Amino acid sequence: MPEIVVEGVSKTLGGMLTLGGVNLKAGDRDFAGILGPSGCGKSTLFNIISGLMRPDQGRVYIDGLDVTGRTGRVSYMRQKDLLLPSLNIVENVSIPLALKGMPKKRACAQAAAHFKQFGLDGFEKYYPSQLSGGMRQRAAMLRTYLFSSDILLLDEPFASLDAITKRKMQAWLIEVFNAISPTVMYITHDVDEALYLCDRIYVLSACPTVVKLEITVPFCRPPHGRTIVDREYGVIRDKVMEALEI
Amino acid sequence: MISRAVVSVSMKRSRITADIFIPLGFIILLLVGWEYIVKLRSIPDWILPGPVQVVRTFVDNAPLIAKHAQSTMIECLAGFALAILFSFIVVFLMDEISLFRKALYPLIIASQTIPIVSVAPLFIIWFGYGMLPKIIVVVLVCFFPIAISLLSGLAAVDNDYLELFRSMQAGRIKIFRMVKLPLAMPAFFSGLRISAAYSVMGAVIGEWLGAKQGLGIYMTLSQRSFQVDRVFAAILAVTVLSAALFLLVSLIERVVIPWNRLNEK
Ligand SMILES: Nc1ncnc2c1ncn2[C@@H]1O[C@H](COP(=O)(O)OP(=O)(O)O)[C@@H](O)[C@H]1O
Ligand SMILES: [Mg+2]
Repeated sequence: MPEIVVEGVSKTLGGMLTLGGVNLKAGDRDFAGILGPSGCGKSTLFNIISGLMRPDQGRVYIDGLDVTGRTGRVSYMRQKDLLLPSLNIVENVSIPLALKGMPKKRACAQAAAHFKQFGLDGFEKYYPSQLSGGMRQRAAMLRTYLFSSDILLLDEPFASLDAITKRKMQAWLIEVFNAISPTVMYITHDVDEALYLCDRIYVLSACPTVVKLEITVPFCRPPHGRTIVDREYGVIRDKVMEALEI
Repeated sequence: MISRAVVSVSMKRSRITADIFIPLGFIILLLVGWEYIVKLRSIPDWILPGPVQVVRTFVDNAPLIAKHAQSTMIECLAGFALAILFSFIVVFLMDEISLFRKALYPLIIASQTIPIVSVAPLFIIWFGYGMLPKIIVVVLVCFFPIAISLLSGLAAVDNDYLELFRSMQAGRIKIFRMVKLPLAMPAFFSGLRISAAYSVMGAVIGEWLGAKQGLGIYMTLSQRSFQVDRVFAAILAVTVLSAALFLLVSLIERVVIPWNRLNEK
């Protein structure tokens, strides 16, 4: 039952109170979106959840276990693909398995087994610089998935892609996640992306950051990137926009 | 597709023209000018021989020059290899242990202000006329560019890479080996190419002050007997050696980091 609970997390960075007591939660197989103004500490929040950074106050629980300041339970993907230019795609993607002590050959074979699902079929031996931005993000996503398949933190994974590629990647992401059903926390700047992908949305305020709005998205995800036509859509969108002060 | 391929081939050709023929043409122009002035003013050989005379001397003395060049080359390669080894050890310690970094960084920078010609005679006093003092000079000359390029390559590694690997529970040594070192390799090789060119000069300076064999001592002896054409022939040999070493490093670079050429496109 992978479940993330963030309890009263606060953090001062560079002398400024950045996170001012953030409470949020992503239940089992939840797809929770996090929206907030630039620099409000969204990435900092992920650094804390992933255990890279210790909060000044507050705790992080996963599956009811206190994991504050401990890495290794969740996998974490950023806007940059962070693939190593020195390794080909299958070697890059199998890094988490190799780090867990699996022999290189078996790690590569296991990673390669997922290539079709992640739309990377046939590109095993290519180097990152030979791939498009969308493919690199999918490879980074697969690497993330291979580290921990049930809890994923995604920090603006598609922010650097063009609008068309982004839309395709969102439809693809829904498909993959319907198949593997992990618990996801997803940072984005894009309100429509959040409404399209997420079950629940947290809107954060500016610093010192707290949760300003928590909203459940009632409509289902439309298949294959079709437009959401639910009448609620506009109402919820306006609420989120208002909370973001756009 | 066809027209695109044709365009890229013709672009390549024009780039090769620009990269090779322009500097080559300029060098030939300089040589012709040099020969012309020497002939026109009938400057005696012991003051300034023309390039034709230099090449003739080079060919006539080829066996002797080759023998001297061999010693120089051995000193170069030994010093170069040791410099690489030392810089890896020192830089690893500096990168991983901040105490080392703080202690050594100013020292390494300051060491560059010491003129090598002033310490080279000391090595001869301490270690005699054999190869060792020359190898030490080569190590000193090569160490700095290699160490500094490696250090800056390591420092330039995006912190996000390190955090990603830390979030995947990779240890420090693993992060160094899997992430930092490969990402620093291109910078390391650019330092290596610079010091490859320096290394021959280092060996020659070492030999100048006294040696049993080597291009440096050959140069000194020729100069003392006013055989300026031989000095120039030795300079030619030094240039050829430096270029060969430079090419060798570029070749090794292609083998060690083949992926880097993909990135540069
Ligand atoms: N290591 C750090 N030291 C000091 N300040 C930091 C550090 N990391 C981030 N910050 C600052 O904290 C704020 C929040 O950063 P971040 O979490 O990256 O914001 P977001 O992801 O929401 O755009 C920013 O103002 C940033 O400049
Ligand atoms: Mg961010």
